[in-house]
Amino acid sequence: MRDRKTLRRRGGSLEAWRDTKAGMWAWLLQRVAALGLIAVIALHLHNPFVRPVQAALLGLVLFHGVLGLRSIVLDFGWPARWHRLLLLLAVLAAAAAFVLVWKWRWY
Amino acid sequence: MVLKVFRWGPGTHERLQKYWVRARQGMTVLDALVQVQRNSDPTLAFRYACRVGMCGSCGMVINGRERWACRTLLSELPRGAVTLRPLYNFPLIRDLVVDMTPLRDKMLAVKAVFVPLRRYTDEGSFAQVGSGSRERQTIDRAVECIGCGMCMSACTMVGHDARFPGPAALNRVFTLQRDSRDAAHTERGGMLLGEDVLARCHGQGNCTDVCPMEISPTDSILALRRRAVLRLFGITR
Repeated sequence: MRDRKTLRRRGGSLEAWRDTKAGMWAWLLQRVAALGLIAVIALHLHNPFVRPVQAALLGLVLFHGVLGLRSIVLDFGWPARWHRLLLLLAVLAAAAAFVLVWKWRWY
Repeated sequence: MVLKVFRWGPGTHERLQKYWVRARQGMTVLDALVQVQRNSDPTLAFRYACRVGMCGSCGMVINGRERWACRTLLSELPRGAVTLRPLYNFPLIRDLVVDMTPLRDKMLAVKAVFVPLRRYTDEGSFAQVGSGSRERQTIDRAVECIGCGMCMSACTMVGHDARFPGPAALNRVFTLQRDSRDAAHTERGGMLLGEDVLARCHGQGNCTDVCPMEISPTDSILALRRRAVLRLFGITR
């Protein structure tokens, strides 16, 4: 029987990452943010008054959320070729929302 | 110009072999490979047919990205060695040549073949879908697929889930599900709701970014998914 050797893209090689697309980064970053959230939420529950943890929680929630909105607008028919623009808008929106909320002293 | 070419054959170890090529103005990656095969290594295996960007048979991974070798100019690649590998997610035959059978198998698995309505199966009976009609315009770009397999190579989910039909097959299904002459909409519609079909696409868009025909299989899959959700809730058949 013929050998069925098949090449797979390996994350461990630089070559595999050299041409990673905007849409792929958006997907990946949203997952990484979700993993980060698990850790930060645990820390926040342990002590809710640590400012750096509050900042990390706000930043990750916003980042994860806007990337989720990006997925939703794609689901509703925005062209997939707008990947780069959508990723850029998501990052900018998250950053702007972070600055606004963080500067808003509510206590 | 240095080419680092993936070499492998049954019974041999895989390796990247270096070839030195005298680059000329307007030279493509395919030209460079032909030069190597003619002048220095006749055992180097790669596939091509039309040489002018129509057939898609010279699809390969050039510097980490799926491209067709006949339309990739050496001058448009970054300076330094050019790395050439066969398409990912397809069984290797030799060197840069892969077995395209999975593409056909995945097409068949999701019934990505035209099934005419009974009234069109009689001899002399046919339907016309005008080029300017909305039905035709909806699938206008998607029908241009040449079956090169680059999208299947770029798709991370094809690499992880053998049951996922992949971008090419689902793009074909999209064109058929929007075809008023086709009789298998309901049958395919049920199949599309399976765990390893539409739900498996994560919308990363790698297929869309590498498609040489500028088709967007991601958009085709998302359009199928919108229709599938409506079907799931009984809003459409």
